[in-house]
Amino acid sequence: MSSYQNGVAPARAIEDDSDVEEEALVADYKEQVQYEGVDELDQAALAQQADDLQAQLVAAAQPLDFQASLETKFRSYDNYCGLFHYILNSESGPVDIEPPTYYWAWDVIDEFIYQFNTFSSYRLRIARQGGPEEEVQILRENPNTWGCYSVLNVLYSLIQKSQITEQLAAMRRGEDPMAVAGPYGSRNLYRMLGYFSIIGLLRVHCLLGDFSLALKTLDDIELNKKAMFARVMAAHFTTYYYVGFSYMMMRRYADAIRMFSHILVYVSRTKNFQKNSQYDSISKKNDQMLALIAMCVAFHPTRLDDTIHTALREKYGEQLLKLQRGGPESLPVFEELFRLSCPKFISPVPPDFDHPEANVDPIEHHLSIFMEEVKTNMWSPTVKSYLKLYTTMDLKKLAGFLDVNPEELRSMLLVGKQRTKQLRWTDGSLLEGELVNISDLDYALQGDIIHISEAKMGRKLVDWYLRNLARTYA
Amino acid sequence: MNGEDPQERPEQIRNIINGLERYNPQAADILEAYLTQQCEEKFTDCASNRALLKLSPAHIPNSYQLNPDRIKDEVITNILVKAMTQFPSAQFDLALHLLLPSHTSAGPNSPSSDLAEAISKLRVLNAQLEGAQYAKFWETLASDDIYADLTADIRGFEETIRVRIAALVGQAFREIQASVLESWLGFRSVDEVKKFVVETCGWTVDDAGVVHVPKNPDNEAKKMEIREDVSIDMFSKVIRRSWEDSA
Repeated sequence: MSSYQNGVAPARAIEDDSDVEEEALVADYKEQVQYEGVDELDQAALAQQADDLQAQLVAAAQPLDFQASLETKFRSYDNYCGLFHYILNSESGPVDIEPPTYYWAWDVIDEFIYQFNTFSSYRLRIARQGGPEEEVQILRENPNTWGCYSVLNVLYSLIQKSQITEQLAAMRRGEDPMAVAGPYGSRNLYRMLGYFSIIGLLRVHCLLGDFSLALKTLDDIELNKKAMFARVMAAHFTTYYYVGFSYMMMRRYADAIRMFSHILVYVSRTKNFQKNSQYDSISKKNDQMLALIAMCVAFHPTRLDDTIHTALREKYGEQLLKLQRGGPESLPVFEELFRLSCPKFISPVPPDFDHPEANVDPIEHHLSIFMEEVKTNMWSPTVKSYLKLYTTMDLKKLAGFLDVNPEELRSMLLVGKQRTKQLRWTDGSLLEGELVNISDLDYALQGDIIHISEAKMGRKLVDWYLRNLARTYA
Repeated sequence: MNGEDPQERPEQIRNIINGLERYNPQAADILEAYLTQQCEEKFTDCASNRALLKLSPAHIPNSYQLNPDRIKDEVITNILVKAMTQFPSAQFDLALHLLLPSHTSAGPNSPSSDLAEAISKLRVLNAQLEGAQYAKFWETLASDDIYADLTADIRGFEETIRVRIAALVGQAFREIQASVLESWLGFRSVDEVKKFVVETCGWTVDDAGVVHVPKNPDNEAKKMEIREDVSIDMFSKVIRRSWEDSA
């Protein structure tokens, strides 16, 4: 392995007592994370073409043509590896160059992950459905091109080199980040790449199905409008989508709704300033997040912001009704909305070209796990709709109404009761939270008698008052 | 979330899972030993176990060829069973999400169909716990010898589940018939139930066979009114504005 940034642990020195097998393992692992296509010659060429570097930086942020050939995809991978290798391991210390634009670093990381994502989907499709023989051959022989360990290695390396974690921590303490930035991190190029690599990691972990690690990645970033990412609309948007989605998969629906609502309200307020090409992709994600909100609200009924509620009813009014009604009829709607709004999941390993049928689309995998929880909760809306009508109720009588046996109803009641307790973020890192009761309906059983109490919501006036006051002033 | 950050987690494990060491295949041995410790003692560290799952051959395929015994199927199933004991929570699901898609849908040609079968069996069990179908859970557990194998490494598995179910019952019930608890706790007689609820839970049983659970915030279902908290900060903009306008 050429001296590629020793960011990922396996590249560290092997312990003295390790046996041969382990050494082989590490060697093999190194091979996996190694960047192909960067030999000494390339490096020399890169150094000579310092003038070309600007052009390369710009090129790296350019979207790859949708119909790019496999060859182009491989070349693009090599180009990224070459560029990142050069930036991270230049012999003469940090590369002295300014990023072309403020958006550049985001665009590069975004495009890098996007290409990784589409490549993985493409490769899986070829493995499942077959394709031109030579393409299959190339893909089979190069399992590590656009491999997830290479991608992770790039992101982790950029984060480490730029000392961005230390910088962010210093900023939170109110200190000067430059004091801990080091020779690399004090330059814009590295600092910006490092910062957006954190957002990139959030995304990659989520794509690989590790939702808690995805949220943990953002430990050092405070989610607010002052955050660096908020200056780049697409980054702002992406961050909230992935954070919200990860929360949903961890069953923290209140937090997920909070994330989606925040960003959707923000977009609706700034819509008029965003009439460029960026807006098209945002509007697609916008619809996806509305679908996600619809599902979260079905799990956790709550009052939404007026703008979002209106948009939700316009876009998914019919589906929302079915979700809120629950029962078996809601299952296909959950499936439909999940497929529509989930990220394009990636399998962590290359597909098996010899057994096309053994390659399962990762979406099916994650969907089936998600649907398990949907099924568990499917009767909650029905049961609750009855409970709301009474203060005490006989279990057997209610079972009669619902046409189930008393034992089944006991399970439903327990499920409903258990799910009203949810972890909700109050302060600190994203994974933290307090266990709170999130429902306005509570009940307890005394033998076969159900005691029901409904929390009365006092009217919320402050927001209404402030909004109207602002209107009068304006 | 239950079992996410246990107090028992040692410094060494914390360093591994919070840093890049979590990608080092050599860390697997340490995490595996830690899993064994969790199975013997009664705590669960799902975050650490997920890091271990990602080091499994499933995620680093070539290591499997070099060292097929590196991470055994038992490790995966033990992690799932440990996560299951945290019900109701997303822990089991979070671990499942990290398995390969081919593990969760057993195809006829899938390379490790034993593992795929074990996983699908555990999913049935977990769904019953999550769905509060406790009587069915015990039936399923007894229905197939494979379950005894899968839970063999986890010391006191049944007892752990039983205590957890009792805790959840205590949050929802003020009174419950001992006969219902008998099936929910997987006992064979009402006497066993009585002994358990009195000795382990500290509840009481009356002559009619009704178990009484002491009052707690969860089984009270008290009426309450949620009011809006109004603080002066919410009006800061308006006040400042009126101040500035008049100035």
